[in-house]
Amino acid sequence: MSAAQQYLLLLGIALGVVCLVLSLYGLARTLGPTRQEQGKDVPASSGVLSRDPVWGRYHAHYYGYALLFLAFDMEMAFMYPWAVVYKEVGMVALLDMGVFLAILFLGLLYGWSQGAFRRQ
Amino acid sequence: MTIAIVLLALFGSAWLLAVIEGWITTGRLSPAAPLYSGLAHLGRESILPRSPDRVFFEAAPVLLLVVAVLGMAVLPLAPDLVIADLGTGGLFINAALAYVLVAVIMAGWGPDGAYAMIGGWRFLGQLIAYSMLIVMPITAVAMRAESLVNTAIVGSQESLWNIVYQPLGFVLFFIAAMALAFRAPFDLPTAEGELGGGVDAEYTGVRLAVLRLARLTLVVTLASATTVFYLGGWYGPLLPPWAWSLIKTLAVAVSMLLAGRYLPRIREADLMRWCWVLGIPLALVNIIIVGLLILVVP
Repeated sequence: MSAAQQYLLLLGIALGVVCLVLSLYGLARTLGPTRQEQGKDVPASSGVLSRDPVWGRYHAHYYGYALLFLAFDMEMAFMYPWAVVYKEVGMVALLDMGVFLAILFLGLLYGWSQGAFRRQ
Repeated sequence: MTIAIVLLALFGSAWLLAVIEGWITTGRLSPAAPLYSGLAHLGRESILPRSPDRVFFEAAPVLLLVVAVLGMAVLPLAPDLVIADLGTGGLFINAALAYVLVAVIMAGWGPDGAYAMIGGWRFLGQLIAYSMLIVMPITAVAMRAESLVNTAIVGSQESLWNIVYQPLGFVLFFIAAMALAFRAPFDLPTAEGELGGGVDAEYTGVRLAVLRLARLTLVVTLASATTVFYLGGWYGPLLPPWAWSLIKTLAVAVSMLLAGRYLPRIREADLMRWCWVLGIPLALVNIIIVGLLILVVP
């Protein structure tokens, strides 16, 4: 199978799963409707109504992590092709990536020393 | 034909897992319980919250299920029993599983409930913690296999399974997989005790049935990925290859359930701190150890 065919197959499976779920929904609908009753549709909030809508701004307590995460996530984009040819290229590959990882690791240590891993 | 067998294995394993989960938590072994429970969910009302973001609310359970099935579609059960043996299979798994985050945040955002929304944002923090521990161990696996094709990754473990070759990577991947599937002790977005169900809270009836099925399927997919990457996939004596794949997958999934049964839920701040202060340096060390092993031992 060519790559294009494989991806088409995966797309087909995804659509198939969606159809399965839709047919389940249809089956549930034939078993009876949802009755409209007062107060039934209030989201769970332990008896105290939450502000509406709740889509406000939340304080992210982990933006220090988030910045480091960005750096590491970019690094992974280089790691996968490197990993595939690693054995072929040998020692040079280890040294190249070793230097790269060492710099990244220094960044991690620097972030740590600046309190990036403290809950803000 | 292959598609039917793999999907049957996936949903069959999810059903077995539901039975075993019931056995672990209630002490009763009732093979029909998931069936009754599913039918009961079909019969119940599926309530729509007061002012939902309808698109997100409806899409979340479906997306979670699609992601779990797509992840399974690139994992081999036997040398020729794989739906799509992609050239970038190891990467495709990551790409598919990244959408778990999207689905959970949609499930949190959609119903416009405070607890659900907090659950969704919590999972975003959880992603920042676990995600590096999923991708870095897979890199070390790909280094040994010299390939991202999943059948080649299993093939590279014929003489020695990766759990022996890189035990550190296995431990990190196993823990991260549990966090990715948001099973206890990493069930921060659903946390029954503190968020009243969190992202699960507003789903009822058939939508909840789909969401639960998706979560179980996700556990099976991750257990299967652990099997393929670390436990030598289909290799084993006597039994046919597919049987070994299924046995190992179920064993990993059950050990995930058992670990969740006996460990307390971890705090989000602690999870992130441990993952970054301990987990990621260990994952880097794992890559370097594997790199040296590959060069030194022919």
